[in-house]
Amino acid sequence: MRTYILRRLIEIVPTVLMITFVVFVMMRSVPGDPVVSVLGDAYTEEDAIKAREEYGLNKPIVVQYGIWLGKLVRGDWGASILTGRPVLQDVLIRLPVTLELIVLSMAVALAIAIPAAIIGALRQNTWADYTATSAAMVGVSIPEFFIGVLLLLIFSIGLGGLLPSSGWVYLPGTCPSMVCGSSLWGNLQHVLLPAIALGVGRAAILTRLLRASMLEVIRTEYVTTARAKGLSERPIVFKHALKNALIPTVTVMGLQVGFLIGGAIVVETLFAMPGLGTFGIDAIIARDYQQVQGFALLTALAFVVMNLVVDLTYTFLDPRIRYT
Amino acid sequence: MTDPAKARAAKSRPITGGSVNEADLPVTTGVAWDARAKPAESPLAQGLRRLRKSTTAVVGAVIVAVLVVVALFADVLAPLSPIASNQARTFASPSWEHPLGTDQLGRDMLSRVIHGSRISLLVGVSSVLLALFVGVPFGMMAGFYGGRVDALIMRVMDLILAFPIYLLAIILMVIFTPTAGLIGTMKVTGAIAIVRIPIYARLVRGSVLSIKEKEYVEACRALGVRDPWILFRHVLPNCLAPIIVTTTLGIATSIIVEATLSFLGLGTQPPTPSWGWDLKANVAFIQANAWLSLFPGLAIFVTVLGFNLFGDGLRDALDPRLK
Repeated sequence: MRTYILRRLIEIVPTVLMITFVVFVMMRSVPGDPVVSVLGDAYTEEDAIKAREEYGLNKPIVVQYGIWLGKLVRGDWGASILTGRPVLQDVLIRLPVTLELIVLSMAVALAIAIPAAIIGALRQNTWADYTATSAAMVGVSIPEFFIGVLLLLIFSIGLGGLLPSSGWVYLPGTCPSMVCGSSLWGNLQHVLLPAIALGVGRAAILTRLLRASMLEVIRTEYVTTARAKGLSERPIVFKHALKNALIPTVTVMGLQVGFLIGGAIVVETLFAMPGLGTFGIDAIIARDYQQVQGFALLTALAFVVMNLVVDLTYTFLDPRIRYT
Repeated sequence: MTDPAKARAAKSRPITGGSVNEADLPVTTGVAWDARAKPAESPLAQGLRRLRKSTTAVVGAVIVAVLVVVALFADVLAPLSPIASNQARTFASPSWEHPLGTDQLGRDMLSRVIHGSRISLLVGVSSVLLALFVGVPFGMMAGFYGGRVDALIMRVMDLILAFPIYLLAIILMVIFTPTAGLIGTMKVTGAIAIVRIPIYARLVRGSVLSIKEKEYVEACRALGVRDPWILFRHVLPNCLAPIIVTTTLGIATSIIVEATLSFLGLGTQPPTPSWGWDLKANVAFIQANAWLSLFPGLAIFVTVLGFNLFGDGLRDALDPRLK
């Protein structure tokens, strides 16, 4: 097991290198030049050449990537071309916001999906099942930003400004500067709507999957055996059926990470949250190479680490699965 | 290399040795079955029969059909121009003249929602088809030839799959630089198609791997049938069911991705009407004019729902095992 984890951790390195390299090359093929944005409209060609030299943008792409990588292994993520701020510092300020959003949205998704799927599977073809499956169908068909808009209409506008429509209050301890206020209650108010907006779609996908695999599992012989030996329904459902039914669901949850990152970009944009999603999209649009690299690195890391976590979760759910 | 004529000749070679066409036998009484009975229903016909019985599929098909009509006849159906602004009537509430009101430039929302269907459907359908036409042949080659071809193709596909899809789609759109009109639409189509190619390649490769071991493929090889003919005539039809299902459900996903890109300002640019863009533009005025962001969002929802319902019904009908 330990060697397996070690091998997988080593395998992360080439994947992350590949993703960051492709992003590096792709960003430099984007029409436009960050130097022009730095210098403003009134610049001479000489200034531009000088600036490009200063930022090392005149070197071949592979060399530039090598320089970026060399600095990275020494803990230097580079500095933004546009603002001059160190990328690592910006990323670390924004990371907790997005992490909180994603973790809470997953919690929302599971809190909806697990009961809905169990009811749907145990009471198949009853009105409860039809309600659960129809709601899930509606859920997979609504884009996150429209759920967000509906939530805004109901909770921020309809109910007389019950919850804030935008902005952010930091969790105590994550506040980046002296001036920002932080409170647990304020933070919860701000994160609730975005987390629901991002979680509902995931909940719908998980409900559909989990209901289907629950239906399969409750027809297996070991569930019949458990019933025959007089076990009550609760341990049958939670210990025997749910745990096994979760395996395909966990796989899909891992695959959903790619969508969650996109969802985070959209939801953070809609609710004007200072998270990594807005950081990434702003950096890409502004062609801030260093910031984009930082964003890509973190995204790639999150993506591959999540896949590893998914594979390791299998061993917990099904002890027959062993990695060597 | 390919010689379909020869292959066809090889295929239509008269069968000799023990087998006679049953339909030509004289009808004799007293046999256990009617030799002239109708041939067994093909899998496709069976699927279509099941599809017609499925309520979800029929509802989905009706929604999709209505949307296609709306998109095709948008010019006739829309009461006003979707791009003509009227500074005298900005933010008009819904009325007889403007059933869905007007936006900040005084443009008729109903006309914009009607015309917006074009972008969504066009991008949704064509990006998936483009991904299909690139991904399927690559997947077939990878699965059929194996070895180095397989390794090379799947390495590239895994590279694309290694990206979180929105990150890739967003960067591709920044590279393509979003524009308006048909060219702008084609750029969005291309970006979404690239992201979706590996889905088909993987799907088809998996099916081909099992199909190529079947006896009928071996028989074809023994008869000297050329590879492309085997692939397209014998292998492809047998992996069509999952391809069709993935395509229908994929259209729903692509429409959401298109709307998301537009929402982030990276889709087809104004003045071309697009639901995602309209939603984004009107969210700014959500406090006073709630209905404006409601309608484009509802339009996206209904469209995606239609394709999802139809796709679900198709899956149940074509491949009951997948249920």
